[in-house]
Amino acid sequence: MNILIPHKWLLEQLETELSPTKIQEYVSLCGPSIERIYERGNDKVYDIEITTNRVDSMSVRGVAREAAVILGQFDIPAKLAKQNLTLKNLKENNLLPLPKIIDPHKFCKRTLCVVLQNVKRTVTPKWMADRLTQVEMNIHDSAIDITNYVTHELGHPIHAFDYDRIMALGGEIHVTEAKKGEAFVTLDGELHSCVGGEIVFKNSKGEIIDLPAIKGTANSSVNADTKNILLWIESLEPSKIRFASMSHAIRTVAAQLSEKGIDPHLAEPTFVRAIELYQDLCEATVASKIHDDFSGEEQPQPIIFDKEKIDIYLGLEIEKERIVEILKKLECKVEVIRNTFHIVPPTFRKDLQIPADIVEEIARIHGYHNLPSVLMPTKIPLTKPKDLNFSAEETIKHFLADRGWFEIYTYSMVSEKIAQQSGFQITRHLQLANSLTEDKVYLRRSLSPSLQETIANNPQVENLSVFELANVYHPQENELPNETMLLSLVSQKPLAIVKGDFEALLRKFYLTKPVVKQKNGESYGEILVDSIKIGRIWLENNLTCIEIELAILLPLVKQHPNYQPLPKTSSIKESLTFTLPVETQIGPVIDEIAGLSQYIKSVTLEDVYQQNCSFGIEYWDQKKNLANENIKPLREKVVAMVTKQFNGKLVGKL
Amino acid sequence: MSADTLSNLKIQIEKLKKDFDQNQQINADKKLIYLGKKGLFNELSKEIKNVSNENKKVAGQLLNELKTYLQNRLETNSSVDHKNKWVDLTIPGKDQESGHVHPISQAIEEISGIFQKIGFTRVRYPEVDWDHYAFEALNMPADHPARDEWETFFVKVPPNKKMGKVVLTPHTSNGQVREMERLKHQPPIRMINIARCYRRQQDVTHTQMFHQFEGLVVDKGINIQHLKGTLDYFAQEFYGPGTKSRIRPFHFQFTEPSFEVDFSCHICHGTGLIADEHGDKQKCGLCKSGWHEVGGAGMVHPNVLKAGGIDPQEYTGFAFGWGVERTYTLRKGLNIDDIRYFYSGETRFLAQF
Repeated sequence: MNILIPHKWLLEQLETELSPTKIQEYVSLCGPSIERIYERGNDKVYDIEITTNRVDSMSVRGVAREAAVILGQFDIPAKLAKQNLTLKNLKENNLLPLPKIIDPHKFCKRTLCVVLQNVKRTVTPKWMADRLTQVEMNIHDSAIDITNYVTHELGHPIHAFDYDRIMALGGEIHVTEAKKGEAFVTLDGELHSCVGGEIVFKNSKGEIIDLPAIKGTANSSVNADTKNILLWIESLEPSKIRFASMSHAIRTVAAQLSEKGIDPHLAEPTFVRAIELYQDLCEATVASKIHDDFSGEEQPQPIIFDKEKIDIYLGLEIEKERIVEILKKLECKVEVIRNTFHIVPPTFRKDLQIPADIVEEIARIHGYHNLPSVLMPTKIPLTKPKDLNFSAEETIKHFLADRGWFEIYTYSMVSEKIAQQSGFQITRHLQLANSLTEDKVYLRRSLSPSLQETIANNPQVENLSVFELANVYHPQENELPNETMLLSLVSQKPLAIVKGDFEALLRKFYLTKPVVKQKNGESYGEILVDSIKIGRIWLENNLTCIEIELAILLPLVKQHPNYQPLPKTSSIKESLTFTLPVETQIGPVIDEIAGLSQYIKSVTLEDVYQQNCSFGIEYWDQKKNLANENIKPLREKVVAMVTKQFNGKLVGKL
Repeated sequence: MSADTLSNLKIQIEKLKKDFDQNQQINADKKLIYLGKKGLFNELSKEIKNVSNENKKVAGQLLNELKTYLQNRLETNSSVDHKNKWVDLTIPGKDQESGHVHPISQAIEEISGIFQKIGFTRVRYPEVDWDHYAFEALNMPADHPARDEWETFFVKVPPNKKMGKVVLTPHTSNGQVREMERLKHQPPIRMINIARCYRRQQDVTHTQMFHQFEGLVVDKGINIQHLKGTLDYFAQEFYGPGTKSRIRPFHFQFTEPSFEVDFSCHICHGTGLIADEHGDKQKCGLCKSGWHEVGGAGMVHPNVLKAGGIDPQEYTGFAFGWGVERTYTLRKGLNIDDIRYFYSGETRFLAQF
């Protein structure tokens, strides 16, 4: 998450002479990334990305603390400002009783509260309003804005209850888990029904009076009539806060901070700073005892590891003293016994848990830019994945592109309409549980409909041919979908041209000519290579479509031909023209002629005119040159077969 | 069919004539090509056998006329010195219809080539995968706030008890533990995984589907210097000599330490400034700071190695994962204003690549 910090506000916590752009440069190299600097009002405002593990840096003081350590490494004078915000500074009172706090399950690791009396509802002073505006927060009045201000400055969320309303509700705060269906209304008037398990505050009657660490409720928060405030900080289990915040989609700053685990020790300075501001700006007085229950205090666990670990990660030896120096600057307690480090991180660094976390601290403060850059001298793995042939995929793409085809990438998710065109029922498709747009809801089972849509979307292009290599997703019971890589071709060009391109593609891989098997009455044909079905071909909406399963085709492809010695004899070519009955499939006629004799080397379709088809037949014998008397019986065999099997009639005479 | 074959022959004759007239070679060569024993005329004459008997006569006449035409032209030109013959070399080239390999395919091909040269093995893993591989094994248990960064699509199927929900992979990092499993938990690993990824977001810089490439290296003694070396190598190969990489601290659950990776801007060479026409230094319009942020990297988290059955006491590793679109469009001249064009099937866009 990002935080906005005005430069002058930062300088209250960080003593340095350095310019904003230099601060940006150095801090970004070794710490949080200062992405941009804006000009706002009379100040520069840093826009800083704080990673989710570093909630301790999500405040003006948090960034100042990081900056002080980092700038020191560049020998730039910089110091974190002294802070004297302890409860000891405050004078307690006994004018008003605190509400009774009941937390039998110890959900709160720490609770801190006090009653502030006679809070004047003053206008937020200009200096505070300016800063809050610079960091894009709304301005209300001092009594409300103080809580936002101190949270931004020091990092712990803090809540102001209307003290009198809490007392009117029964004067008790029960910390408990909500039951399913229980209702609450947030301070901005939205009604929510509990899913069950959210930590809530209830009064003695069981009414919800707060959604702690996330948002106040309408029945207990400060309103226009508030005179006395119950200033409150609690520390809850982060996962519980996240659960409630996500369940109700209430993503306040407080929730986003608290769900990441804020150090409960931070509650004290934040609390004291807020009270001081209430005293200064609202003339409020402390009217009660200060309640501080920190029974849930946890001690950070020590991290123990050998120095060698750091050297391995960094690839160089770094002096023990340097390591200790860096860790101490980061407020860690360090003990070194021979080569073993015992490190106790500060309470605000919950992210430091394992040796690798410490390695990161050493490396970044030492400076990644100070490490050499070398390629690894380690072994090269030789076990390649099975069934993958990326180079053949690339060849397909380049070959088709060179022949005039456009490669297209379409989305894997499709609309209901497109999904239905796959030939599978809509219910036999996988569906997204949280689709973003209506046109991307189902995981597709065919590429062709998307490509047909692409052609329709490009009406200005004539004779467009497009193709795509992509996965389709076939559902499987209790399994991941069967992801199958397809090659899909869709073209406005005539069938014969498209087939010609496809046959040429297979020749590129030294495969035999594909055979199309089209059953009578079927509108599509199966494509076979060496009797293996590799895909389908069909006509749809005046488009020629081919879809090939690459998992079947790729194992068949070859990188080189099977060399044949050059022929020593010559072949003889001739044409035979037959009149064939209406709706005779030509493919099988050619296959049958070619299969008649080993001396028939090739058969091609030369011409078609109405029902007359001319076939070019090449005769060849590798042992001798064929003479007319050798060819005559072969020719007669062809004519007899076509006459008998296909009801053909030879044009002309033998 | 005779009429058709005859008209076909006529077309062939006209084509041959045109071809002959446009041929700029010397007459001796032309004679061989067109009237030689195996010349184009003789080839064409063979077509006569396909012409039906009643049309054979007409066909013969046509062929005779063609022969005369060719002979006359060869004779009239033979006295002219071919060196001085007027030739127009400025005529426009004849455009052959050509298609296009998709720019993302081009980028992927280049990227995988660069990494294969230094021993990386390209792999492919499911695009629709278990939560286990996409998150859980990557040190991101369910409901972890870090998951918010990945706007993940879920598939409407019952979750598996062990593997969790089915997701559209929001990154290529699901390949990390899968690769460790493929190699039976035995380094060395040098993997490059390039695949479609999906996130629930859509604007001019985000599409619901995009591509990432993921590198993973695991072995004894792999350190941050090796990551830097690999990044610098890629930067130079992909963006050109002199391009540098830079790593800055970041956080990912599946790496520790984690980095953000920047490449120096190839326009201003990492200075953030370029000279204008008066020689004055101006802010670089492409990068603004001298550097481009391209993606994340880090040293593989011990928990991820453990999830892949590799002992983190013995082995270390690094990983990186970046968007293909982002990496590709940072190149000079590829400042594409709306990345949705990549997946729009818009031929005016694709035809430029």
